[in-house]
Amino acid sequence: MIAIQVEDLTVAYGEQPVLWDIDWKVPTGVLSAIVGPNGAGKSTLIKTIVGLVRPVAGSARILNQPLRDARRKIAYVPQRNSVDWDFPTTVFDVVLMGTYGELGWFRRPGRRQRQAAWETLRQVGMEEFASRQIRELSGGQQQRTFLARALVQQAPVLLMDEPFQGVDAVTEQAVVQILRRLRDEGRTVVVVHHDLATVAEYFDEVLLLNVRRIAAGPCADVLTPENLRQAYGRVPVLWANAGPGKEEGVTREAGG
Amino acid sequence: MSDPTFLLVAAGSAILGLVSGALGCFAILRKQSLLGDVVSHAALPGVMLVFLLFRTKAPFPLLLGGAATGWLCTMTVLRIVRSTRIPPDTALCGTMAVFFGVGIWLQTYIQHHVRDASQAGLDRFLFGQAATLLDRDVLWMAILGGVALGTMLLLWKEFKLLSFDPEFAASLGWPVRRLDVILMSALVLAIVIGLQSVGVVLMSAMVVAPGAAARQWTDRLGRMVALAGTFGAVAGVAGTWLSEQIQRTPTGPAIVLCATAIAVGSILVAPRRGLLWRFPAIWRRRHRSQLNSETTAIPGGSPQPR
Ligand SMILES: Nc1ncnc2c1ncn2[C@@H]1O[C@H](COP(=O)(O)OP(=O)(O)OP(=O)(O)O)[C@@H](O)[C@H]1O
Ligand SMILES: [Mg+2]
Repeated sequence: MIAIQVEDLTVAYGEQPVLWDIDWKVPTGVLSAIVGPNGAGKSTLIKTIVGLVRPVAGSARILNQPLRDARRKIAYVPQRNSVDWDFPTTVFDVVLMGTYGELGWFRRPGRRQRQAAWETLRQVGMEEFASRQIRELSGGQQQRTFLARALVQQAPVLLMDEPFQGVDAVTEQAVVQILRRLRDEGRTVVVVHHDLATVAEYFDEVLLLNVRRIAAGPCADVLTPENLRQAYGRVPVLWANAGPGKEEGVTREAGG
Repeated sequence: MSDPTFLLVAAGSAILGLVSGALGCFAILRKQSLLGDVVSHAALPGVMLVFLLFRTKAPFPLLLGGAATGWLCTMTVLRIVRSTRIPPDTALCGTMAVFFGVGIWLQTYIQHHVRDASQAGLDRFLFGQAATLLDRDVLWMAILGGVALGTMLLLWKEFKLLSFDPEFAASLGWPVRRLDVILMSALVLAIVIGLQSVGVVLMSAMVVAPGAAARQWTDRLGRMVALAGTFGAVAGVAGTWLSEQIQRTPTGPAIVLCATAIAVGSILVAPRRGLLWRFPAIWRRRHRSQLNSETTAIPGGSPQPR
């Protein structure tokens, strides 16, 4: 079963194409990363899949359905800096917003939704912060709040934009544990990730992106020095040192 | 104080303060405070046009005309922002200037060419004159205000989500643009009901000031909206009373001054956020660090705990 199927996808803001002819498949029950340099179109790809950006050409399907029939099946975690954290609301309230989709028009969250929100808060270890104003949280706690809001949707497919941004090592491990558990439950998790060093450790598959698709598949096959050079314009230092001697030459060449 | 006209006028002002204060919170939180300015200024040509075409003084058609052009102007701004590269503030100012200019032009034309224009009291729409409110005016204010507040209560969760995280709302499948238009329309109603007593020039202050004051006192959206409504209503009544006390003052400026006083007061004295409480804390901290540095300067001078 295919969780996410992207075909011939081209996206542009104005004239400039940001994603060019992307083909990509993510099977169900997989933890997948999207990796690429700044401005590669990672956020744009996720936003297009969840329907926030309309593509110029091509399509994205969720679990073999077009997006409009699969709204309930996806949960989206935006980049943390996409909202105003000074908004007058609490952690619990933000998590409760994850249930607004199932509630539909006019209905207010009831006992069931509150219960679910509490349980999810416990899962991400944020119970004690439930009634905090969201400004009074650390970056990692804000990220966990966003994660909880997505978890409470109980969606089979999750798409997260940089959930590890500004998060300490302990929280990162905790989040990875949660993502693995979701995967083991058979759900599909797609994460925009920046740290090349941990991609292979955390994820089963990876999409290497820079406007075009560079490569996709199991981490070991994708993260080759040649592919990375294509995506980043040079081999990231960490990789060059680990790779065969001649790749260091490439690094120096590109740098100089 | 208890004469019936004052009670009527005060009731009208309370309604306008309540509704504009409550709905203004959403404009503030969405960083669209300028929208209040746009809607109120752009309502002027609508009011004038309806008078010119139908020669009526009835509140409902006049307010409806104001709402129509206010709404039209807002939608024009949204259109421009969405489909061009013109920045939002430029689009706001430019569009507003055109609408307001046409409004002033129409008003001048009416004053010079229409016989009973001065009796129609159209000039009250500029700076507000609550004393001219009649039963039917207040009735229509209550009805339109009720519609605006009712919409807000009915779509509370939707408006909250839209204001906090529109992208997440869209990812849940909410029709964000349609919600945007509905919220905007409710705000237009809230502004239009204040045109007679506050006027188009100052009405935007009634959208911003109560909400800004309320934000100082609470970190919950529900309480903020309730408090802003209360502040708005209090300012409405107090301002009306003030303008009755001082001869020949228009109510608009009086009401707006009261609302501003509440906002300034809140910014100064609100717990935790208030400036007055923050200054001593900062001073004390500086003082203490000075003391600390003095004690540590003495070798072995700081006492050991336990
Ligand atoms: N709303 C927008 N309007 C115009 N251009 C945009 C918009 N959003 C993004 N872009 C452009 O599209 C390109 C891709 O942006 P995107 O945010 O998808 O990159 P990204 O891979 O997520 O980068 P980062 O690692 O910095 O988050 C960038 O060049 C950016 O300037
Ligand atoms: Mg991004």
